[in-house]
Amino acid sequence: MFSLIVRKELREILGTPRFVATFGVVSLLILLAFYLGARSYVHARAQHEAAVAENLRQMEGLTDWLQVRPSISLPPRPLASLVTGISNDVGRNVSVMGLGTLRASQSRYNEDPVLAVFRFMDLEFIFQVVLSLFAILFAFDLISGEKERGTLRLALSNPVPRSTWILGKLCGAAAALTLPLLVPLVLGGLLLVMSGVPMQSEDWLRLGLVVLAGLLYVGANLGFAVWVSALTHRSSTSFLVLLVSWILAVLVVPPSAVMLAARSVAVPSVDESLSQLGRLRTQLWAEDRKAIDTYLQDNMAEEPDRIETAAAIVGRFNEFFQQRSEARSQALEELEARLAEQRANRQAIQERWAFSVARLSPAAAFSVAATGLAGTALDLPRHFIDQARAYQEVYERFQKEKTGGRSSGGIQIAVRVASADGEEPREEEVAIDPLELPTFDYQSPPVAEVLRTAAFDLGLLALFNVLFFAGAFVAFLRYDVR
Amino acid sequence: MNLDRTNLDPTTEAQPFLQTVELTKRYEDGTLALDRVSFEVGPGRIYAMLGGNGAGKTTTLNLFLGFIEPTSGEALIDGIATHVDPLRAKERIAYVSENVALYPHFTALQNLDFFVRLGGRNDLDREQLSAALDRVGLERQAHGKRLKGFSKGMRQKCALAIAILKDAPAILLDEPTSGLDPKAGMEFTQLLGELRDEGKAILMSTHDIFRAKQIADRVGIMDRGRLVAERQQAELEGEDLEALYVRYMAGPSAEVACSA
Repeated sequence: MFSLIVRKELREILGTPRFVATFGVVSLLILLAFYLGARSYVHARAQHEAAVAENLRQMEGLTDWLQVRPSISLPPRPLASLVTGISNDVGRNVSVMGLGTLRASQSRYNEDPVLAVFRFMDLEFIFQVVLSLFAILFAFDLISGEKERGTLRLALSNPVPRSTWILGKLCGAAAALTLPLLVPLVLGGLLLVMSGVPMQSEDWLRLGLVVLAGLLYVGANLGFAVWVSALTHRSSTSFLVLLVSWILAVLVVPPSAVMLAARSVAVPSVDESLSQLGRLRTQLWAEDRKAIDTYLQDNMAEEPDRIETAAAIVGRFNEFFQQRSEARSQALEELEARLAEQRANRQAIQERWAFSVARLSPAAAFSVAATGLAGTALDLPRHFIDQARAYQEVYERFQKEKTGGRSSGGIQIAVRVASADGEEPREEEVAIDPLELPTFDYQSPPVAEVLRTAAFDLGLLALFNVLFFAGAFVAFLRYDVR
Repeated sequence: MNLDRTNLDPTTEAQPFLQTVELTKRYEDGTLALDRVSFEVGPGRIYAMLGGNGAGKTTTLNLFLGFIEPTSGEALIDGIATHVDPLRAKERIAYVSENVALYPHFTALQNLDFFVRLGGRNDLDREQLSAALDRVGLERQAHGKRLKGFSKGMRQKCALAIAILKDAPAILLDEPTSGLDPKAGMEFTQLLGELRDEGKAILMSTHDIFRAKQIADRVGIMDRGRLVAERQQAELEGEDLEALYVRYMAGPSAEVACSA
């Protein structure tokens, strides 16, 4: 009996021109998303490789690693092209200095603002907007439509338990909507491979999880549509209720949650932090200038008749200056770390608020899960800067090793002493080898970590499914068939 | 108003297949849809419920189908109370609605196949399904066509074919001839006669006095939830059913006027 109802539901949905037309459009959009994603990745990859080569080329001819100001860039990742998240809003390049704060700049939207106007048609958009509407379109009349047509009376005049009928319809509708989606998704995967996108096994796993999240989201929409259909007696009423609910869930709740969180929890701006840092820097420099004056007066006054080489004098001064510089840097770093921590804490509270409210909508839960799995969620910039900072330390060690303990922070005074004949002794200047520069290899968070983060939202989507399907089930048991 | 009932047919009363006993239904809004209605339909008998809108005919059918529960009394199918064991009761009935609703994107045969299997018959092949459609008079070329282009008469034939194939001992029909052209109506009546002859207990609600008189073994006139009169086929020959119907439908004042 159950399989009979499932088969009937499959046949009824798949056989309608409405399904054929809509499914054709959706398949086309999915394939287009994969195609555009692949093209975008290949293009971004070429740009990234050119930037890396240019970075190395600029080092050619330099003879001192202190003159090097390497720049690292966030490499494009295949999944970021399919689920863009905030990856196009995040700065992709970081200039690594020996010391100091790291800031990412040159986001894709910053470079090509026109792309930000309509954003990308990626998998997240297709699932969140197109497929959720698709689910509603095919389920809004699943119960009320059968009542209007009269087929429900005829069907239930047979010895069919209502529980079997509604379960059969739910499963049939879910299968009719999700199974055909797998076809364009598999074709899209093939398209990625054929386009030369280097998908690793981990990328496939992540993509599979994104699709799973998408199917759970579509399932939640389907369950909700059937529930509403089982609470109403006219399909037009059901459609209206679902349309309003969809607008609220997809277009109103998530941005409203963010606005609400922004108003409830104030986060100190970056400018405020920079301003405080600037004040401290000015103050420390003023103190250092005084200290230098005092040093110079004291040292010159103490042993005026002492004969020392200029190099020894400068060496002592450099040592003194290095100490001041390090103390200054430490004070600045401490303040910066404190400000960053305060800002991060406030941001975390704000994010928690925003996500807690937004997750009332399955659309937001899906979005958070999908971008988290693709590595394009809110933690992308933090993750990038953390790795850039780690690289900065590696580079600083490398630089000191190459320059005999000097790094590019602060000021160094170099002294050249002329020989008796007036000629400066020539040090043999050897060009640096740019290929010795430590490479920056961006690592996306491992799947296990990403899955742990996304587990809450995947669980929430599963919960929405259970709730909505249970609601539909109970509502149908009480449904007035007359 | 007391029930105007003539002598009952002893063969019908012996083993009623469909039966209502003091069946009463009051809806949540207080409307009394059925008020202590009792009647019986035996195997090989057709019972026609006549009455205007709101008389309680469809409510009676809904109670037999288990779609609603009685406030008091009971509707029995082969002795099974429909509100106690609706699934077992439904194994014994087939139902044809007023506006026959089948799946428009399925062909006639696909609709038949689905509903017959839903009714518990998994043993029928395509030929047997086609034969049933032949029997109800649906042309062969229409068997494989989608229902969305079918007229009401054609859909009615499909519904009757489903009822025939389900092979239930009782058939419930809700306004079965409403909207049919005279030829289709006549064919339909003829088929009902055949089914009665096969021993089916048939309960139909109708506005159609002519068809009721033509086919029914017993006619019950309902008004505002009450069964106000009952007549057997034989008695109707000597009585003007239309006048009787109008008399009860017009209410007590008309009844008095008629009597005068």
